[in-house]
Amino acid sequence: MRLLKDQQRVASEHLDTRLYLDGLAGTGKTTAAIERVKTLIRNGVPASSILIWVPQATLAIPYRQALQRARIDADTNVPTTTIGKLAYDMVKLFWPMIANKKELGFQQSEQSNQIEDPHFLSLELVQYYMTRHLGPEIDTNDYFNSVHISRNRLYTQIVDNLNKAALVGFAPDTIGDRLKSALGESVEQSFIYDDAQKSAAKFRELCLQHNLLDFSLQVELFVKHLWPLKEVQRYLTSNFRHLIVDNIEEDTPASHDILRDWLPQTDSALLINDSGGGYRRFLGADPINAAELRDLCQVHITLDNHRVMSKELEALHDELAFSLHQTNDMPDSDVDARDAIAYAPDISYQPQMITWAAESIAALVHEQGVPPREIVIMAPYMPDALRFSLQKELDLQLVPHRSHRPSRALREETASRTLLTLARLAHPQWNLPANKFDVANMLAAAITELDLIRARLLADVLYRQGKLAPFTGITNDALTQRITFDLGMRYQTLFDWLQEYQSQDALPLDIFFSKLFGEVLSQPGFGFHGQTDAANVAANLIDSAQAFRQTISEIEPNLDIPVEYVKMVEEGVIANQYLRDWEDDKRDAVLIAPAYTFLLANQPVDYQFWLNVGSSGWAQRLYQPLTHPYVLSRQWQSGRRWTDDDEVRTDEQTLAYLALGLVRRCRKQIYLGFSQYSEQGYEQRGDLLMAIQTMLRRLNRSEANA
Amino acid sequence: MNHLPEDFVFSQSSLQDYVDCPRRFQLKYLLRQRYPAPEVDDLLEFERRMAQGERFHHLLHQHAVGLPADVLQAGISDDEVRGWFDTYLANGLNGVPERRYPEYSLTVPLGDYRLLAKFDLLALGDDKALIIDWKTSRHVPRRDRLQARLQTVVYRYVLAKGGTALNGGNPIPPEQIEMRYWYADHDGQEVAFNYDAAQFKADADYLEGLVREIEDRERFPLTDDMARCAYCTYRSLCERGKYAGSLDEWEQIDEPTDLDDLDFDFDQIAEIAF
Repeated sequence: MRLLKDQQRVASEHLDTRLYLDGLAGTGKTTAAIERVKTLIRNGVPASSILIWVPQATLAIPYRQALQRARIDADTNVPTTTIGKLAYDMVKLFWPMIANKKELGFQQSEQSNQIEDPHFLSLELVQYYMTRHLGPEIDTNDYFNSVHISRNRLYTQIVDNLNKAALVGFAPDTIGDRLKSALGESVEQSFIYDDAQKSAAKFRELCLQHNLLDFSLQVELFVKHLWPLKEVQRYLTSNFRHLIVDNIEEDTPASHDILRDWLPQTDSALLINDSGGGYRRFLGADPINAAELRDLCQVHITLDNHRVMSKELEALHDELAFSLHQTNDMPDSDVDARDAIAYAPDISYQPQMITWAAESIAALVHEQGVPPREIVIMAPYMPDALRFSLQKELDLQLVPHRSHRPSRALREETASRTLLTLARLAHPQWNLPANKFDVANMLAAAITELDLIRARLLADVLYRQGKLAPFTGITNDALTQRITFDLGMRYQTLFDWLQEYQSQDALPLDIFFSKLFGEVLSQPGFGFHGQTDAANVAANLIDSAQAFRQTISEIEPNLDIPVEYVKMVEEGVIANQYLRDWEDDKRDAVLIAPAYTFLLANQPVDYQFWLNVGSSGWAQRLYQPLTHPYVLSRQWQSGRRWTDDDEVRTDEQTLAYLALGLVRRCRKQIYLGFSQYSEQGYEQRGDLLMAIQTMLRRLNRSEANA
Repeated sequence: MNHLPEDFVFSQSSLQDYVDCPRRFQLKYLLRQRYPAPEVDDLLEFERRMAQGERFHHLLHQHAVGLPADVLQAGISDDEVRGWFDTYLANGLNGVPERRYPEYSLTVPLGDYRLLAKFDLLALGDDKALIIDWKTSRHVPRRDRLQARLQTVVYRYVLAKGGTALNGGNPIPPEQIEMRYWYADHDGQEVAFNYDAAQFKADADYLEGLVREIEDRERFPLTDDMARCAYCTYRSLCERGKYAGSLDEWEQIDEPTDLDDLDFDFDQIAEIAF
């Protein structure tokens, strides 16, 4: 891509100073930054001394891909980081320097000087500890008795509050007071915030007691205790002499504070601010705080040439901005904004809207040759039912698709259910017998060509009192013939393997799964042989079981870990969401995603489909009774109360940022999907729909007047 | 027909996999297919040794960034690892130049792609560039086998080709490069390999030839050396056996898998919220 003049300045000038770059999305800021990195490398700067810092890992992908493809005869392996990764790396490396600090409160051995290693907790292990240790506390004390949301969502918000404390920079024991002073009008609401505070404190106490480091504790340790140490600061600032910090508006005060210290110590830096951004507010992003870093930069450049949107989309952007009260200037364009949109004819119900979307996409792909990867379908929320319906319709239209959403819970996948049922059968000592229905399904999945009817017959005859019996035990010839000798022998192989296994000491669950997979289920004649999806699911389950064992066994050596794991999977606490596969999904396929997920991936496409345009979800925050993104931010004035006006104003702002952010990430056209009634049968008249209708009426009027 | 994505990055592990078994390379790096069968018979012991190796490497990294040895020693609960660390303190850094880069990665162009090397320790002196690879294996392989391994080929080549930025803008002459394997479980026994321009040229030809061969491949055949299949997780997919091979007979315990595969992404906390 040819760079414009100001992009050129970013790419090849001011290489020994600090540069602040801003502009709307789609003006080529990241492109210019990538070229700047290449220039630095061509000028002899070691790639390892440049650090690319982004608010979330996916935003570094364009840098990595471009540098891997770069035709440069030098090292291009530039490290990338986020505040989370930096905190994890530094805590891991420098842990011995802080582990014994009394004020941190970690329990270290008093008998010796030995420093015990920390345990880094994944989100799924955080959920586990909350369920196991906080759950009973909540039950006993009747916390949150007026809040009607699932336990997992409750835990997520407690975690969220702790994360905000670390990322925004306030003490975790002030969470409740902050929320109460702004929002605790009623006694009931105050109780909720008190309970949220007690729960957060209880969880933190547990972490300190066992050296468990969740995300919030890692960030807090890094920002408050490691970064101030000269050894740590010297390590980072001497290794990374050049900083490229993209999307500072989506990053948190924790990042900004570190950068404020670090920037003066660099040889060069480029800070990039997406002027219309700030979408991650509910994760602690603080665009106002970010903008203050501008003063630390000697050179300021603004890019204002849109390089993504067509002229028509630019016109749509301006019209929509006017309708959403983001500007008082009446738009004036020589092209028609209406050419940038297409919308469904009168549609009453959601299924019709889904069919319309799938047919329109099929026409784009099959008739106009649009690559599927250039199309995204989004809605404010993407519940399973909507996603599934879309996938089904796209399948009918022979359009490839992928879902940018954590995959189904592992317990719902046939492959993992099969492994879990076999684990119950192989471990009668757990006293967790499998039910007959699950055994039949397991047999159908485990033995190739064994249909469910014959699998049920086998289960009926051979599964008694929690135990399988050998195939050779069947005395009914008609039944043996119906099953067939060949399938019967495969059953026998599986049976023999389980018998052999039970004659030895039980293995850890993940190792049991692995051996069972390798020695039986993936062998020819068995259900996982050559089944790549089943193999991926099995691998994810094994990873999850292994991580659970490795952490829990060190903290609670007396716990019956396999039993606990199986119970937690069944309850949806563990192995509930798996994120490892989708990030690298590069298939040429239509993307189905919640609107914010697409927005934050920051990858423009040719065509966008906005579904449920009438939904109020485009403007509203998620219902989070235990937390609040604005009150728990650094911009909130202590003592102020959150009012209805604040609510209306932030909803308006949320909608405008989202809608305009999406338009800026579209090259050709936006399809608007609207059904009169929602999935639940309510009439849909949300603010986005109103704004679009206002815009269309205005454009129609001005056309008529002309 | 070229199956390689435009941004593909080769490494010593992927190239070694290709040389050992083209089908394994295809499954692992091109199709990115996971297949979770055991790699060895005794998985618990395998895991223990992996964890020991990882712990030892981490200790050396901590020591290299300036953490005092006595503080680090106080945190070691595994006797074997403590013994290895003591050996390292006694002789691991003998003759190692002062400008040290622990856990350092470099990439260089290779055909239309890039080639990555992850060094345990890179140490540069006035007329010496030393690559050290810390090994915790129970066996010290034969010298000729080590010499033939892609790690020896790739690491020296990458430093010679891509070390310019670390050497004041001048390429590091191959003759100054030494690759040293250091065996913690064998009192710090070393196996070292020098380098020269002729070998650099030969390595370039060899590596570029491998990449061209991969690009041109229509099919990725299975290895003829069936003994390898016992240590390969794809063995049942390829119908090459049921049971994993013996851990004790596996000489390559230090590099059984890419340690990258074990990295956990703690950033996911932000992703999940969406």
